Amino acid sequence: MLHGGFVPGRPYIVSGPPGAGKTILAMQFLREGLEGGERCLFVALEEPPNELKINMRGFRWNLDDLDVLDANSDIRRFEPTPILEISTEEEPAKMRAIGERIRKTPDFESKEVSVHSLQQLLKNLFLKRNYERVVVDSMTALRYFCMREFEETVTTQSFMRYLAESKVTSLLTLELPEEGEVPPEAFLARGEIRLHKLRDETGIKRFLSVEKYKGSSHDENVYPFDITNAGIVINMAPMLAVAH
Amino acid sequence: MGRVVRALGRLSMDRVKTGVAGLDTMLNGGLLPARPYVVSGPTGSGKTILAVQFLLDGLRQQEPCLLVTLDEPPIEVKANMATFTWNLDRLKILDATPDIRAHKRQRSVIDVGTSLDVRDMEDVTEIRQSSQIRALEVTVHSVQKMIKQEFSHHLERTKQRYKRVVIDSMTALKMFAMQGQDSRILIQSFVRFLAELEATTLIISERLNKKILETEFFLARGEIRLNKWIDGSVIRRAISIEKFRGSSFDDRMHPISIGDNGMVVYLDAPAQTRVSTPAPKPGESLLETRLIDEVSNVIESIMRQIEDAHRRQVPIRDIEVSLSRAMLAFQRRNYQKAIKLALACDSELKERLGKAPLPPPISTPPRPPQVIR
Repeated sequence: MLHGGFVPGRPYIVSGPPGAGKTILAMQFLREGLEGGERCLFVALEEPPNELKINMRGFRWNLDDLDVLDANSDIRRFEPTPILEISTEEEPAKMRAIGERIRKTPDFESKEVSVHSLQQLLKNLFLKRNYERVVVDSMTALRYFCMREFEETVTTQSFMRYLAESKVTSLLTLELPEEGEVPPEAFLARGEIRLHKLRDETGIKRFLSVEKYKGSSHDENVYPFDITNAGIVINMAPMLAVAH
Repeated sequence: MGRVVRALGRLSMDRVKTGVAGLDTMLNGGLLPARPYVVSGPTGSGKTILAVQFLLDGLRQQEPCLLVTLDEPPIEVKANMATFTWNLDRLKILDATPDIRAHKRQRSVIDVGTSLDVRDMEDVTEIRQSSQIRALEVTVHSVQKMIKQEFSHHLERTKQRYKRVVIDSMTALKMFAMQGQDSRILIQSFVRFLAELEATTLIISERLNKKILETEFFLARGEIRLNKWIDGSVIRRAISIEKFRGSSFDDRMHPISIGDNGMVVYLDAPAQTRVSTPAPKPGESLLETRLIDEVSNVIESIMRQIEDAHRRQVPIRDIEVSLSRAMLAFQRRNYQKAIKLALACDSELKERLGKAPLPPPISTPPRPPQVIR
């Protein structure tokens, strides 16, 4: 559908409503990299890494060498204490080293992840290790929880600009509401893969389309897909002329 | 449908049963333990019943269970649940309902957190009376503090951790306890707090607007949705799973009923029932919902114009009367009549407002001071 794949070094969006399969698709993208011996990083903003690990067990994928950065903010403290930002020295953990239980917020200090500190942290990481593929799951969480004092759209743009300048191929997941408008991240990315979720009497039907792809031609059709234990499998046979 | 991720579910992991038989089958055995989930649906769709059934299943397995109630006082929860044949005596219930608000804001407004009220269901006897001197106010912080305290108390007393928690409801928490604050960050923190408790949690939330992406819906590890719609002259109910991380599930919508034994899911219901799901199909129920939307839009616009008319002192007493007639028809579900009356009001209002002189501009820019020589 992408006529060969992504143009390397650019940020892309995978969007869809909750439960569409965004995280699975993103994980598949990283796994492809791992198989080719590339260094890959998963930035988790929505889900604690221990749950991510358990969730991905159902797929028979070897993700042991995947770096996972836990960027979930701690439980907020209500006492008026200075907010501690996540340390820019924080290290990602290898998937194989992640434990079964959730990391607990320490009793006396809680760390907050802001877009600023995350960017700084990624900068350090990119210098140390040459990541080729990065997933940020999700941009929505980044916008909702990490941009307290910033103007959201401008900050998002600068974050994506930063990713482009770092020359990593990045895939950013984006939550869509069930109806209504698409958030501005979609316009900023170099391309958008959109997952659709429709319900009829036989259950949930999932579809995938390439909404935008700068610098390349792409397939304009909408294809159905299934989530199997090998991940997302697109059914290319029945062409659907779904107009938007 | 069936093909979708069925294989994924065969994990050698314990599942937490919801206590609703058909639902557990839909979930491929139950929920994944120690995670927060959302139960959504409109008012009266059975969210609380499902949640209490989930707790009941825990009690039957000797698991400590906690119901945090923000919507209804415990006595009402007890009364409502008495209609079922359930033994909920050992259910712990944490009363986090706010008091009658002290209208005078004073220093003595205190957090509920300082007065923890947790009882066994069997000891719930009457409604807590608001104190005359100080009104208890509920904040996210205080609710969190109360739950945390209760967790450690319970651990001390019984050497057992709570295994199941229900928050009833997030909607109340958002409405009463997050006024004027950045609710998204507070919800993130609260969901994180629930996840760190390592109990399986159901968060009850009314979905208010499909166009807005609500934080708890994408942060929760799954969503069980209760659907309720009007089909001709009967109310139909159905259940569906919208999202379930880390597991496969039955993604069809199944009809449900609520009887003496609680909620029952009909997995093999006759196709006829399933045909009339609220899926966007050109059917009667759809037409009706569209008509309802239409009428409420017109009425909303009329209300705005009426406000405008009042500001500009245009006499519209008679229009208000015919609007009330339209609303009466709307209430009686006579939508055809309602829309006719409402549209008549709308056009009459527009005409009158058009004739009336425009209001004076809100503020005229001050004139430049004249230079006096």
